[in-house]
Parts: sequence; structure tokens; C-alpha cells
Amino acid sequence: MMQIESIILYSIKQLNRERTIYSIYHLLNGKKSSQTIQDAHLFSLKKFFGIYEQLSRESFDEIYQAMVEKNWLINNGEQRYSLTTSGMTLLENNPLPQYINGWNFHQITSLFWERLSLLIQVVSNLAFCESRYIPIQKNIDVHNWLKSTLKDITVPRLELGPALYSELNKCFKTAKVIDPSLLVFRLTGFQQIGLTPLQVAAKLNLDIHNYQVGFTNILHYLIQKIMEEENQLKILPYLIDELIQDDELTLSSRKTQKLLLQGHSPDIIAKLRHLKLSTIEDHLVELALNAADFSIDTYVDRELQHEILEVSRQKASKQLKVIKEKIGAATYFQIRLVLAKHGDR
Amino acid sequence: MELEKVLKKHFGYQSFKTGQKEVITSILAGRDSLAMLPTGTGKSLCYQLPGIILEGQILIISPLLSLMQDQVEQFKRFGEKRVIALNSFLSAEERNRALHHLNQYKFIFISPEMMRVPYILRKLQELPIALFVVDEAHCISQWGFDFRPDYSKLGDIRKKLGNPLTLALTATATQKVREDIIASLDLEEIVKIESTIDRPNIGFYVKELIDYRDKQANILELVANLKKPGIIYFSSKKTAEQMANLLTEKGICQAMAYHGGLDQNTRILIQQQFIYGQLDVICATSAFGMGINKENIRFIIHYHMPMQIESYLQEIGRAGRDGDPSIAILLYSPGDEHLPIQLAENELPSEQQIDWLFKKITDEQLFKNGNISLDMKLMELGGFTEIQWRIIENFVKNSSLETANLKGLQWTINNFVKERLTIKKNNIYSMKKWIETNSCRRENILKYFDEVKTKEVNPCCDICGLQLNDYQAINHLTVPSAKTDVKNWNDYLSKILINGELRE
Repeated sequence: MMQIESIILYSIKQLNRERTIYSIYHLLNGKKSSQTIQDAHLFSLKKFFGIYEQLSRESFDEIYQAMVEKNWLINNGEQRYSLTTSGMTLLENNPLPQYINGWNFHQITSLFWERLSLLIQVVSNLAFCESRYIPIQKNIDVHNWLKSTLKDITVPRLELGPALYSELNKCFKTAKVIDPSLLVFRLTGFQQIGLTPLQVAAKLNLDIHNYQVGFTNILHYLIQKIMEEENQLKILPYLIDELIQDDELTLSSRKTQKLLLQGHSPDIIAKLRHLKLSTIEDHLVELALNAADFSIDTYVDRELQHEILEVSRQKASKQLKVIKEKIGAATYFQIRLVLAKHGDR
Repeated sequence: MELEKVLKKHFGYQSFKTGQKEVITSILAGRDSLAMLPTGTGKSLCYQLPGIILEGQILIISPLLSLMQDQVEQFKRFGEKRVIALNSFLSAEERNRALHHLNQYKFIFISPEMMRVPYILRKLQELPIALFVVDEAHCISQWGFDFRPDYSKLGDIRKKLGNPLTLALTATATQKVREDIIASLDLEEIVKIESTIDRPNIGFYVKELIDYRDKQANILELVANLKKPGIIYFSSKKTAEQMANLLTEKGICQAMAYHGGLDQNTRILIQQQFIYGQLDVICATSAFGMGINKENIRFIIHYHMPMQIESYLQEIGRAGRDGDPSIAILLYSPGDEHLPIQLAENELPSEQQIDWLFKKITDEQLFKNGNISLDMKLMELGGFTEIQWRIIENFVKNSSLETANLKGLQWTINNFVKERLTIKKNNIYSMKKWIETNSCRRENILKYFDEVKTKEVNPCCDICGLQLNDYQAINHLTVPSAKTDVKNWNDYLSKILINGELRE
């Protein structure tokens, strides 16, 4: 069974028939809509947010339809699915990728990989005193990062290769249930060109989707490991330099937050920023999700907050429509705010 | 000054290749030059080296974005950092930054459409341009196989830049195309350096087969026996993929497909894997090969019929750059010319599509104040491909509609399409004639470029008695020849990061 299938099984279980199967596709893709972002929080699926951006809709359809055929899923109509008993058993017996952390790392994963692969290529060629080769990464920002990093690193040039080798080896050694081959064979060095994802998958006899998820899993493991052991490592921490941010807000939400702090109302902010009010409301929901010190009391009465939470609990539902039917006085925006602020994470 | 010393000092080469020194000498003597040098003889050195000696900027007009990027990278690899490519790859910000500091660059690559942006042209006018290089100059001529309307305006632009010293470069141009280049750039006294297009170390072999199954079986056998590495060219991405899979599955060799449908990272990796000998065979579309420097390619096979002799020559010219014997094999089965004809038609908008478009323009009154507003939606609705749409746009943008009328414009476009199609069909016909010939293939190709065969080549071609056996690998049973790979990730990592010799 494929890891992507485990993830889909788990997500379906979490969604509890309250969202369509395509909300999982958007989740894996890391779609930057407030709906998808909020779903990731509400249904505790944050770690799978944006872990497979290359997944096409066609492939997703193929995967889940095969799962239906294998009788792991039942179609409940309206594109909603739930697990069969065998689906449930499979989920219990097949571990999810252990280190994957989409919510925290999805924005930096590909940049991290670009940095890592270019660093290795350059260090490898330095080790063999070769200056004529074609850089495997074309991103100019990554080239600039490498230039300044090479200046900063205190390890002598000729010792860089062995040092980098031992740091990577050290990181991988302690990893459980991870096969570093998925990453290592992708690397390019002196007169040795890395393999493409399809080539590594074929070499290791893996399905391509399994490969892609496994690759992300390793990258996330490595990022996490570097963060934890920053003090013991001399070279690898440069890879995450300026990539890790403390809060999880999008840039646009941060601007809205600034204007709120200056005392502007959402209406005024919408005008100031030439955005729709609904966009500003999305930002507020994002703030409610992520900024602990953000109070929603200005927008929803305490009493109404309690009422909304109560209905959500009674109905065991996070569907806006279900709650709205019960409490006509609440707007959809208010319900979203309350669920974002108090819904279980 | 000795040019050889400059060559050694800056490029690390001991001697010039055919024609290079003649071109460089002519340029340094301040004479406009047209150079036709065969593929693989290092045409870019012809402006790189003068760039070191001449004061002022070297402006290089290049038609293909990907080629431009390759060249810029090559410059950088040789330690020349004062190089920039002005094309649509740059963000607006990067472009502005570059334009403000243009005089800090020595070599400026630019696409012809960028030259026509008035602001950019003004910036270029401020520079002391030492040399105006037109790369792939055959694109200027409508008789060329790769005519680009943007290129035909280069004569004008050259004037606006004050008629700088000019170098027109091409690998494959017939006599007629060469005359067109000179006329279009308005060059009066010109030095022509035309080395022969003949590559004596490449043999020709045409194999007539029954159908595509027969071709497939033949490829498997040929590739198993021939000395590798090699390239197999296809006109279809799908067939290229299938063949690559087949070759790998049957354990015949390490093969990968390469075409425009792959993402950039994958394309770079496959190209590099081939260059470093990790792959024996590339199953490619014509997207592969530009800017590839691999000396030891032993065979080029064509699975489909090429669109014209010029591009055929360019593609087979990638073989045997080290001078060793290499073979160009073309597989032909009856009716093969239909595919290139269809491809040629697809590159151009059809008469029905043009009719539809102009009816739409009239009906929806898109023609106002001497302007036609062409919406991208029309491209989709009318089923135009990007290439087809570019042709239409080009005509609409460049005709003065105040004086002309819609009917006139429609007539002009239709006429253009008809002309292009006739030229392309004639090219395909020439190719077919070459395939079906009973006389020496080398002599026929030379004749096509108005050259005469002066010396005998042996082995020459299938007509002259060339034997494929001579191109076989000696012990082809011990395939694959590609480097055996490392099984364990730890060994792989230590292999690339730790230089054993330095450890001592």
C-alpha cells in the first residue's frame, strides 16, 4: 500500500464526511484559499498541507478511485467519502509518514532542496578542484545565497566535502524508517549527475507518488533535525538560514494585522488596500487561527461565541451551513471566526 | 599580436578550428563578415575572442531563448562574468536593473523582439557597440527553413544603431539564403568565410523499411550493435518516450527520452547525464541538442523524416566532433513524408481559421481607430496554437491599418501562409528526393548548398558502399556501456563529497 493512500485514508477519516474528497486534493496541493487553510486546522490535517504540490488532479482521481475499487472507501454522494472496515484496518496498520510537517515547512521545502542540491554540487566540485560545470539549479536567489554562504562558512575549502559528508551522515544515522537513498541519489556532484524523481523511483522500485511523498518526508526530517541540532552542525544550518519564520501568517494578512493595530476597521482596511471586504475577512480568520493574542470579541459577542461552539459540539459538525441553520443571527464570517479561534486543533 | 596566444590564455585551446581564425582576423580588420561554419566548430569563439580585444560592447542577437541561456552559462564557466541575456526570462525588475547598468556588460545577448522595444533600443543606442553579431542568421531569409519575421527587421535596427561592425553567423544556409542575409542587413562590402559543410568523418546510411514496427525492431537491433553513445531523433514526444522505455526494459542500453514536455530540472539532469556518460542513448525531439557540447557521439538515428535538409544536417552534425568515425542513419518507410507535411501545416494558421478570425473582427467591431484589439480568448476560440497565433499577432501589430483595410490584411496573411507552406513542402520534397537518390548522398547534400565534392571520402554513404558493420561496438555483448551505478546511498554520498586522493 502506498503512503499517499494512507494519507488519503487518514484525511477522509478526519474530514468525517463534512468536506468533499477534493478538499484533500487542495490540502495536498497546498492551495492558498482560506477554506483549505481553515480545513487544515479544523480537521487536524496541518501536517499534510502542501506536501505534494506536483500532484495533478488526474493522478489524484486515479488514486482515490482505485481505493474505491479496492473497497477501502465508500461513496456517500456529493463527492463525500468514508472509510470501510477494511479501510479502517489498513489505516491502523500502516503508519503515516513520520516526519512530514507540511504546515510548517511547505513554503520552504523546495527552496531548501534547491539550496541543498546546489551546495552539494559546488562543494563536491571544490573537493575535486573542478571549476567548469553547469549548475544544476537555475534560481538566481539560490546562487546568491550560496555565494554569501561560502564566504561565511569557517570550514576550510578543502575540508568542506568531508565535513558536509559527516554532517549529513550524522543526521541520517539517527533517522528511523527513513531511506536516505530517496534523497541522496538525486544529488549531483563532481562528474556525477543526480537522477530525476522518476529515475530514482524506478531504481528503488517505488511508485512515483510513494517516492514523492517519501522525498518530502526526508526533506522535512532533515529540516527538523537541523533546527534541533543547530549548535552541533557547522554547515547545514546555513540551509535554513532566514527560511524559518516564527509565525505562520501570509504576507498579506500581516499587512492587515498592522492596519488593525493602528485602529482601522475591516471596512476601512478594505478601502485602503483596494481589496474586497471578504478578503480582509479571510485575513481575520487567518489571524484567529494563528495569532494567539488576536481577540475576536470585537466581531462576535461572547454569548454568540458560546452559542456557536455549543451547536458545533451538539451537531458534531464544523460545517458552516449546519451551524448557520441553527443560529440565524450569526453570519458565516462570525462562525468561521469562532471555529478558527476555539475549534480544536 | 598573436591570436594563438590570446586563444591559449583566455580559452585554454592550443589551436583554432576550421574557419575561426579567418573570421576573427576579418573582424579585427574592421570588415563586415558573413561566416558559414559547420555545426560544432565553435562559432561563438568568433565573437568571444574579438570581445577581449575590441573596446565597446558586443551585441549578440540570438533567436532561441534556451540557446541564449546556454551561451551565457558557457561564458560564465570560462570566467567571463560581464555577460547578460536580455530576454523574457528576466523579471521586470531584473531587466530594469540590467538596462541601467548596460555599459558594465561586455557581452549582451538579446532576442530580436526585445530589440524592437523603443526604450531598449534607445538604451542600446547610447552604447559604443563594437560588434553587432547576428547568430543563426539564416532566420533572416524567408527562403530559410527557420524564417522569423522579427529577424527581417534587423537591417533597420542595425541602421538605427549607426551601422556597427557586423558579423552574421550561420551553420547551414543555401546560396540563396546567404544572399538574402547580406541584402537584408544591407552590408555592402562583406568578407565571406564559407567553410565546407561537409563532415568527412560522418557516414550516411538510409534504410528503407516496411512500417513503424519494422522501424522499432530495427532500432533495437541497431542500438544493440552500434558503438555508443548516440541520439535517436523523433518528431513525436510519445514515440520518443516509448522507444526509450523499450530500450531500457530490454536491457539494451541506458536510454532516456528528452523533449519539450519535460520540466526544466528534468531536462537539465538528462542532458547532463548524457554528457557525463551515465546514459548511452537519448531519444529526443528536435528540442534536444542546441548548445550541447559532447565530443564522442557515435551515431545519430532519425526515426521520422526531418522537415528539411538544413535541420537534418544540423542534427547529424552533433555526431563525431572528436573527429572519429560516426554514422548518421535515417529510417524511411513509404508515406513517411505525410508526418512532416502535417507538422508544417500545423505550424501555420489555416485559411478557415483566418476566415473565422476576420469575420469575428468584423462582427464584434474589434477594428477601431486603426487598431485591432486581439484578445487571447480569440486564440482559444479559434483553436490557434501559440506558434500560429504569433504569426497573426505579428501581422496585426506591424501593419499600418489606417491606410490598409481588413480585407487587405486578410489577403496578406493568407498569402504569407500559402508561400510559407509552398516553401516548406518544397523542403520536404528535397529531403525525400535525397532519401530516394541513387547517387552519392554526400555529393547531393553538398550540391544542395552549392558546393562541389572535391575529395573522395571513405567510408562515404550506403550508395558508395558503406558498411554498417564498421560502426559496431567491438564487444557489444558487454553492454551497457554507461557507468555502472553505486548501489548504496552512503557510498554515493562519500564518492561525491570525499576526494580520496586529497585524503592522503
